[in-house]
Amino acid sequence: MSFVDHYSTLGLTSEASDSDIKSAYRLAARRFHPDVNKSPGANIIFGEFNAAYEILADPTKRQLYDQEYKKIDDLSPGIHMQVFFSRPRIKRLGQQQLLYVLAKLQPRLEKISDSHAPLNLCIVVDRSKSMQGSRLRHVKQAAHAIIDDLDDNDVISIVSFSDRAEVVISPQRMRDRRNMKARVSSLRADGSTAMYEGLDLGLSQVERYRSTQYVNHLILITDGRTYLDEDKCLGLADDARMRGVGISGMGIGQDWNDQFLDDLTSRTGGASAYISTGHTVTKFLHNHVKRLATAYAERSQLVVAPTKGVELKEITRIAPDPARLSFEKQPIALGTIDSAATTAVVFKFLIDTTAVEYGDFHLGRLQVSGDVLGRDQRVERIVEDLTIEITGDDVTDEPPPEIIDALSKLRLYQLQENAREAVDNGDFEEATRQLNYLATRLLEEGQEGLAQAALHEARMVKQTQALSDEGTKALKYGTRALINLETELFTNLLTEEASDD
Amino acid sequence: MIECPYCGHRNIEGALFCEACGFSLWDDNQAHSSTRKLDEDSNELSVKSGWGTATFEEGTQIVVHIRDSVKPIVVTPGSEFLIGRKDDASGITPDLDLTEFGALDKGVSRVHSALRRGEDVLSIVDLDSANGTFLNGQRLASHQPRLLRDGDEIRLGKLVMHIYFK
Repeated sequence: MSFVDHYSTLGLTSEASDSDIKSAYRLAARRFHPDVNKSPGANIIFGEFNAAYEILADPTKRQLYDQEYKKIDDLSPGIHMQVFFSRPRIKRLGQQQLLYVLAKLQPRLEKISDSHAPLNLCIVVDRSKSMQGSRLRHVKQAAHAIIDDLDDNDVISIVSFSDRAEVVISPQRMRDRRNMKARVSSLRADGSTAMYEGLDLGLSQVERYRSTQYVNHLILITDGRTYLDEDKCLGLADDARMRGVGISGMGIGQDWNDQFLDDLTSRTGGASAYISTGHTVTKFLHNHVKRLATAYAERSQLVVAPTKGVELKEITRIAPDPARLSFEKQPIALGTIDSAATTAVVFKFLIDTTAVEYGDFHLGRLQVSGDVLGRDQRVERIVEDLTIEITGDDVTDEPPPEIIDALSKLRLYQLQENAREAVDNGDFEEATRQLNYLATRLLEEGQEGLAQAALHEARMVKQTQALSDEGTKALKYGTRALINLETELFTNLLTEEASDD
Repeated sequence: MIECPYCGHRNIEGALFCEACGFSLWDDNQAHSSTRKLDEDSNELSVKSGWGTATFEEGTQIVVHIRDSVKPIVVTPGSEFLIGRKDDASGITPDLDLTEFGALDKGVSRVHSALRRGEDVLSIVDLDSANGTFLNGQRLASHQPRLLRDGDEIRLGKLVMHIYFK
C-alpha cells in the first residue's frame, strides 16, 4: 500500500487552514512552475504539489483524505535524511558561487526489522575463452561460496555466456546446494563475449520470481568487451530499472570496458567494481551479496529540484557505492538503501546571489523515495527543503568536517577523471599535469601505491600518448574506493592480488 | 574568485578544493587567518612565522640561506634560473651551483630544479632530479611548477635552504 503524505509535500501538518494550503501552493508555483523553472526535477516536484493541492484545496476531497490520513498511526518516515551545507551562510556577491550539499540517508534503527528480505539473485558469468584458467576457477569458487552463504529462502539462478547464453542453474530456492555447485563446476571457458544474450537470459531468470518482496538483483561478472550490442545492453538495463531489478557488475582484468559497465549498472542504481586478477572475486562477491541482504529499501529514487537562479552542476553518490549520477533524466535511480550502511550523496550547486535578498534563501528541494522491504510493504518518501542564509557580512564559518572529508576524497577521483578526459581530447600535456597533481595529492593522503600508479601513468602518457588499460582502472577504482572509505579493504585486496598469479 | 596558491588557478567563490589541481583552498584560508591573528598579537614576529607573500615583482632579489652555511647568497633570477651541481664533463653550469655546499654528497643532481619567473610570481620546478625537490617538506612532482613564497623551505636531495624575497 502506498499512501502519499500530501501535507508534508506542502510543508504543512493536517491542522493547516485553507489559506495555509493556498499560500504554500503559491510559493511552490513561484519556485517550481515549469514557466519559471526548467530543471527536470522541478517538473516532478511541481507535479506533486499539484496532486496535493488538488485534494487538499477541495473541501470534500480533503475530508475523505483526512479520514484515511487519521487511520495511519505512524507516518514518520523510516529513513532519516541528514543534510550538511559547505556553508550554511554565504555572503551576497556580484558573482556566482559554489555551494556543496551532502545528504546522508539512514534507516531509523527502530524501523529496521530483524529478518532480511529474501534475495532473488541471478549471477551472469562470462565464460568466454579469455576466462580460461585461474579467472574462471576463481569465479567458480566465488559462486560456490555464495551458494553456501545464501539463506534457504533466497532464490538463486546462474547464467553463463560465451558465443551464446545458457542457464546453468534455473531460479530456485536453496534446497540442493550440492547439485548447484556441481553445475557451476561444469562450466568450461570457450568462445566469445555475447554479453547481450547473457544479460537478457539472466534478466528473464530474475523475472520468474520477481516481486516487491524480494531484492531482485543481477550480478554480471566479465573480463571482456562485448561488440556491437552495448546499446542493446543499455536498453536492457533501462528495462530492468522499470521493473525494479538492480544490476551490478564486476570486471576482471584489464580488457573490459569500465565506462560501459558503469553506465549499464548506474542506470539501475547499481555500480561496477574492478577486480584486477580474479583472486579476490570471492571476497568482492561475498561482500556484495551480504550488502544486498541488509537492504532496507529497494528501487530508491532521488529527485532534486533547484530553485530558480540555482544551477545543479554535479551529483555524486559517495556511499555505499561511489558513482557519478546523471541528472538530466529524473527521478535518478539510487538503488538500494542499506540498513547497515549510510547512503550519502553530494550535490554541487552554482548560485547566483546578485539579486537575492538577505535572510533565508531556498536552494531547492530534495526528495527520496523507495520501496521499504519486509512485512509492511510501502513506498516511503522523504522531502527536504534546502535553505541557507544570505548575509552581507564576510563569512568565516568552517565548513562541516563531513563535507571537507567527502570533497577531499572526491577531488582525487575528479583529478583522475580530468586526466582521462584530457587524454581523450588529445591534450597530453594537460593529462600529465593532472596525473602529477593526482600523485601529489595521493602522497599527501598517504596513498603511496596509488601515487606511484599515477606517476607511472604520467610517464605512459608522455611516452605513448595513452593511458595503460591497467593503470586507468587501478586509478579509477582506487580513487573511487577512497571516496567510500573502503581504503583498507581496497588496499588489502591490492596487496593480496600482488601475490596472485 | 579564489586564486589557488598551489597552481594559480582562479576558482569560483565557494570552492573548497582547487578545481584544477585539488589543493585545499579551505586549509589555506585557515592558514591566512591564523597568520593575521599573529600579526595583531606580536607585530614584529609576524611575516615569517606564517605564509610569506607570493608577490615577486620585477627587480626583486632572492636571498638564499643554505643550512650549515654562514653566508647567504643573493641572486636575481632571470626567466629560468637553473639550480644544480656544476659538471665539467657534460659542460653543465647551473645559475646556482651548489657544489661547494656538499651538493654531491647530499644527492643534488647536476640539473636538479629551476626557478621560473612568471608575472609577479616566482615558481620552482623539479627537473626530474634523482633525489627530488621538496617545498616546505612536500615532494614536488617533476615538471610541475609550484609558487614560491617569501620564507619557503626548499630541499634538494638532502640539501636544505630557505628563500627570502628582498
